[in-house]
Amino acid sequence: MGKVPQGMHMGATLRLLRVDAGLSLRDLARRIGVSSAYLSRVENGLDAPPTQERLSAIARELDVPAALLMDVANKVSPYVTGYLEEVPAAGTLLLDIARRRLTAAQLARVRTFLDAEFPVREARGDEPVPALSSLLSPERVVLQLGCESWEDALDVVAGRLAAACPGVDSARLAAHLRQREEESASAVGNGVATPHGYSAGAAPAAVLVTLAQPLSRDTPDGQPLRLVVALLDGLHGRARLVRLAHVARLAGRGMADWLMDARQPAEVIERLAELEALR
Amino acid sequence: MHSNALALLIVQLIVIIGLSRLIGRGARWLGQPLVIAEVVAGIVLGPSLLGWVSPDAMNWLFPTDSLPVLKMLSQVGLVLFMFLIGLELDPKLLKGRGHASVAISHSSIIVPFALGAGAAALWLYKDWSSPTVPFSSFLLFTGVAMSITAFPVLARILTERGLMQSKVGTIAIACAAVDDVTAWCLLAFVVSLVRASDLTHAALTTVFALLYIAFMLMLVRPFLARLGARVASREGLTQNIVAGTLLLLLGSAFVTELIGIHALFGAFLFGAVIPKEGGLAAALLEKLEDVAVVLLLPVFFAFSGLRTQVGLLDSTEAWVTCGAIIVLACLGKFGGSAVAARLTGLRWREAGAVGILMNTRGLMELIVLNLGLDLGVISPTLFTMMVLMALVTTFITTPLLRWMYSPEELARDRVSLAPPAATEAPGFTVLMCVSHEQVGAGMAALAKALASPQDGLYALHLLSPERPLRTRQEPAGDGALAPLLGRAQALGLSVRPLSFVSTEPAVDICRTAEAKHADLLLLGMHKPLFSQTVLGGTVHEVMQGATGTVAVLVDRGLSEVKRVLVPFAGGRHDKAALGLARRLMRHSGAEVTVLHVTSAEREGQARAVVEEFFPGDEGSRVRFKVVRHESPEDAALEEARTGYDLVVVGVGAEWGLQGRLFGLQRERIVRDAPGSLIMVREPEPVREVEPAASPVASTRTADIVSAGG
Repeated sequence: MGKVPQGMHMGATLRLLRVDAGLSLRDLARRIGVSSAYLSRVENGLDAPPTQERLSAIARELDVPAALLMDVANKVSPYVTGYLEEVPAAGTLLLDIARRRLTAAQLARVRTFLDAEFPVREARGDEPVPALSSLLSPERVVLQLGCESWEDALDVVAGRLAAACPGVDSARLAAHLRQREEESASAVGNGVATPHGYSAGAAPAAVLVTLAQPLSRDTPDGQPLRLVVALLDGLHGRARLVRLAHVARLAGRGMADWLMDARQPAEVIERLAELEALR
Repeated sequence: MHSNALALLIVQLIVIIGLSRLIGRGARWLGQPLVIAEVVAGIVLGPSLLGWVSPDAMNWLFPTDSLPVLKMLSQVGLVLFMFLIGLELDPKLLKGRGHASVAISHSSIIVPFALGAGAAALWLYKDWSSPTVPFSSFLLFTGVAMSITAFPVLARILTERGLMQSKVGTIAIACAAVDDVTAWCLLAFVVSLVRASDLTHAALTTVFALLYIAFMLMLVRPFLARLGARVASREGLTQNIVAGTLLLLLGSAFVTELIGIHALFGAFLFGAVIPKEGGLAAALLEKLEDVAVVLLLPVFFAFSGLRTQVGLLDSTEAWVTCGAIIVLACLGKFGGSAVAARLTGLRWREAGAVGILMNTRGLMELIVLNLGLDLGVISPTLFTMMVLMALVTTFITTPLLRWMYSPEELARDRVSLAPPAATEAPGFTVLMCVSHEQVGAGMAALAKALASPQDGLYALHLLSPERPLRTRQEPAGDGALAPLLGRAQALGLSVRPLSFVSTEPAVDICRTAEAKHADLLLLGMHKPLFSQTVLGGTVHEVMQGATGTVAVLVDRGLSEVKRVLVPFAGGRHDKAALGLARRLMRHSGAEVTVLHVTSAEREGQARAVVEEFFPGDEGSRVRFKVVRHESPEDAALEEARTGYDLVVVGVGAEWGLQGRLFGLQRERIVRDAPGSLIMVREPEPVREVEPAASPVASTRTADIVSAGG
């Protein structure tokens, strides 16, 4: 896993969010003042992930919290490295945390403390990022799906999503997801794909599918697809983009490995809640 | 005075670009496209204004001996620009647009062409052309000049007014694309005609041009598609690729110039064949657009302006002619497209808007006119008149459009979103649910008899959550699905496996069947260990929950379906069973026997139903047996013992297969029938037609797709 440059994962996520926000490559490039050739290289993982300033500009244009986007790049990102170089003492604190082996839930508490003590000047995001696990329910978790094609997987996903939303026809939803997929691939790397549909007025819902055999699809980082997290929303805009970015961030945290050997839908939701305790 | 030609050229460029931008600000303020400003800047710098006010200044700035350099530069700019026009032309716009756009675009070419050619024949040729110009060339050229629509200007106006997604906008842009291609073809033909000394040469030029187009489409396009894929996937647009593309572009322009049509066409054609998917076109556009549009194109406009001599229109007669040309051009283009649009069903207001949009001539007209002037087909006077015509038609577009098609109108006419075309189910779809290895082979045999290769066959296996996890390396279709898949492969069937962990098998089976739009849900029956009934448990739940036909297979070594028995009493399920039998007959030529157990007077009725199911010739191939028996179940069993491969029976009470009282006494037909058996259940017909709302349809993507493809 370590060999894959984070740029791939980051780029694929940017592309996904941009397309969903309805912006063309040229639009976004113009708005943040870079050439569309550069942005295209970033999206394809051919260029280093954008600098913190650029990422903030992108986040502003897409109307998602900048911290969320930076987190998508995950691992010890250049931002953290830069900070550690500036304030070496921070490294000591990180070591302390590492020695205590704090879990995600405990880290969430640490952050609550940080938020209270040192509020961020420019709002990190007015409202907290909603949890993915709250959009799931046991009947919308499909475990160990074995199939030969991505289309079959999408059909299963659509069947589950449609069941959650009254008035949505599953075959139509499947066609819709397939069409979205053609417009821009939903794979965000780290073995995760996040097909996302839109149906006017539907309450947000998610379907999570673990794959028994990895599907070989064209993924940004070349890792085979093992986990599908599908989202359905009734509104375009900020909340939806934030959810998508959050899924991409979880993918970066190794969601696929984390959930792969769960046996019960309830277990998946539990593990997921643990993984995303720190949002 | 000008010892240094380069210094002069640079000064000229500074003046031209500066002035176009300056006037451009004013044009923007008036809500006009930038093109207008650039043309006006050219005219201002030319003999029409600067040369009239201060001939010395003009002679200093644009001495005659500097014009060839300027001309060459403008030609290079034009070649690049035409390449960009071709790049922007998405072939998706040209096809799949329905007959409305085709009709509109054709009439928007034919009508102005006819008007232009008519005017040329009747009076322009006589009064305003020199006799040295061949009549036919002049006629054709005037026609083409009248029927031009400026695709790029139109696209810009539509984008600025937010009309791209509207019905009017999509129609106009599609028509403009068609017009563009048609007009350039016509023009290429005219140019070849003018340049060739006689008809044989013209024919030869046309043949060469067609060959070249075929060469570009058949050989160069696939190559470019591969190049585009490479750019999209890994390498990005390197300078080598840009250089290569430019070389090809110049080569293409050179070849068309050599053939005898203009270099512009080669550039346009090359741009048009570059694949629009995958980012190659977009990246090229980005790299070249600024140089071509900001730096070189104004030079072309200025050059056109230098050749436009409003002073030549020195008589009332000339001005009247100029006015007449403008009126004719508007009448032909606006009238032709508006009437055609109205005839295809648009409202007058929308049709009018389409007409106004199509009347935009913009810089395309200037390109054509300059070509005509270079070739000597039109005189400088006529050139001036037509430049004015191009200016006026472009200028009036925006205000007229605003008047005709106000923002309120626009809001009303937003394209109504078309639902995504429901994916056509591939023929007959069967979802086979396999719980145990044993039923697999029989199911495959049945599927073979039921479905043809293009039908969709799916095999579903649900895993129990208690079951240990499979190892990753295990291929799909191992375990329970293996016998079915193996057998299906031997029979030449392509079955797509599907499996997942399920805690509620019945619900998951029904959901999957719905998602796959399955016509038939085929369940495997295994002998229950503890339950008394066959149709209980999961099978019962699936039968209750399914929205389509459900069949349960009791497999007793089914390998070939030759003789089929259908006990028939006339109920809903029996009819479904009959339908299945018919499918077996049609697909694998099975011999079907219908057993009707009844009293004599109802026989005719049943026969009528059977005849309805097996119309015409097929009816005679079905054996129809009537028996009287107090127990239909026993009668069916007796008949079944006489040697059938398969009994297809509806889950009716007559056959002991319905009601709450499943038990040993019932379902005897399942227990005692010697051969294989399928029980068919048809759900109750849905009374209410579901509202045709399309919740999934109203997305922004659907919007974009309906606009773009």
